[in-house]
Amino acid sequence: MQRVATLLGALLVMAALWPASGLDMSARAQSPIQADGQNPMGARPTADSVNEEFLFKQSPKITGRISIPDGKAANLIQPQGRQYQMFREGWLPWIGALVILGMLAALAAFFLYRGRILTDHSQESGKKILRFNAFERFTHWMTAVCFIILSLSGLNYIFGKRLLMPLIGPDAFGALAQWAKYSHVYLAWPFMLGVIFMVVVWVRDNIPNRIDWEWIKAGGGFIGSKHPHAGRFNAGQKGVFWMVAGFGAAMGATGLMMLFPFAVFDVNGMQVMQVIHSLIGVVFIAGILAHIYIGTLGMKGAYDAMGSGKVDLAWARTHHDLWVEQEQARTASGPQVASHPAPAE
Amino acid sequence: MKAFVAAVIAAIILGIGAMLALTSSQRFAYQAFATSGARVSEPGTNLVGPRWDGDPAPDEYDAEPHGKVRGAASEPKRS
Repeated sequence: MQRVATLLGALLVMAALWPASGLDMSARAQSPIQADGQNPMGARPTADSVNEEFLFKQSPKITGRISIPDGKAANLIQPQGRQYQMFREGWLPWIGALVILGMLAALAAFFLYRGRILTDHSQESGKKILRFNAFERFTHWMTAVCFIILSLSGLNYIFGKRLLMPLIGPDAFGALAQWAKYSHVYLAWPFMLGVIFMVVVWVRDNIPNRIDWEWIKAGGGFIGSKHPHAGRFNAGQKGVFWMVAGFGAAMGATGLMMLFPFAVFDVNGMQVMQVIHSLIGVVFIAGILAHIYIGTLGMKGAYDAMGSGKVDLAWARTHHDLWVEQEQARTASGPQVASHPAPAE
Repeated sequence: MKAFVAAVIAAIILGIGAMLALTSSQRFAYQAFATSGARVSEPGTNLVGPRWDGDPAPDEYDAEPHGKVRGAASEPKRS
């Protein structure tokens, strides 16, 4: 009796295991790769499946389907993003360093070669002439202060994590970068307003003319000791003005595109905006470094024009002789003196 | 010097004004991307009650419609 029971038990176990062995065979048929990695059926399922290359032949992006209103979230892979990343993380730091350090090196070399451009004390008249009125100086300094903060916070985007974070640690860098980002986003507005003010106030005196060409041919007074003729602004200053106007407009336009992301452009356009913004930004910084140099260390007496607004009459005659004549003629003619905020002596 | 000081003050005032204007025009992600069919809840709340036990605690409905989770509030992300 006990043997019969054991036999029946064994039969039940075999019956229970039979379907399981069938499932295992079925599974093997679905995945015919053997233990040694060979596929006896000769099929190559991964080679025949859809891949990135095939999908990119259909469309420049690989997108999915989503149910939320944010359509951008459907974007899965965008190859341009890799090029942008290569630029942002690979090329941009080198371009930025080369342009800015190159300008600093060039200015240092020029200073060593030429030294400070001085005005001889015997040439100083002791009389002052108003070169920039209060509103002009206000406009200049508002734009300048914003530009310096925008430059430093902008450079932090490129170099901060590479240069600053190893020095001050991730926590301090995180807090600093957050405040730098706030200052960059919010001070961009007074900067843009300042550029508009500058264009309105100074565009009339910055129209290029024949005198500028003569000034350039004479080396602007930097080469040799003779100063070429110049009006209120010489060709170099006009260059700075148009650089600020043009680059300021470009930085403002591309910056606005980034302040209001996806309002106008898609993700490709946003990346292009950032590339333009960053490249113009580093060139802009280099150009303004040259402007700061010549306005302070490079030329004696130049800073007074934007500091107090008044410059020595002899300095003005040396560097802006045509403007001095114009101002003196205007003062001498009488009625214009009252209406003009910058009376000449 | 007066022009410089006035310029710095003006830049700060305009910057603060820009901050207020930009901040007021932004919306939280759960507002910007909400749909009529599904709703991403306000960060810090859930639909299973403050103790995550399925009991929405009716007394808390009076104060918090969806039962605010206890603990430190998270900073909601702006879109």
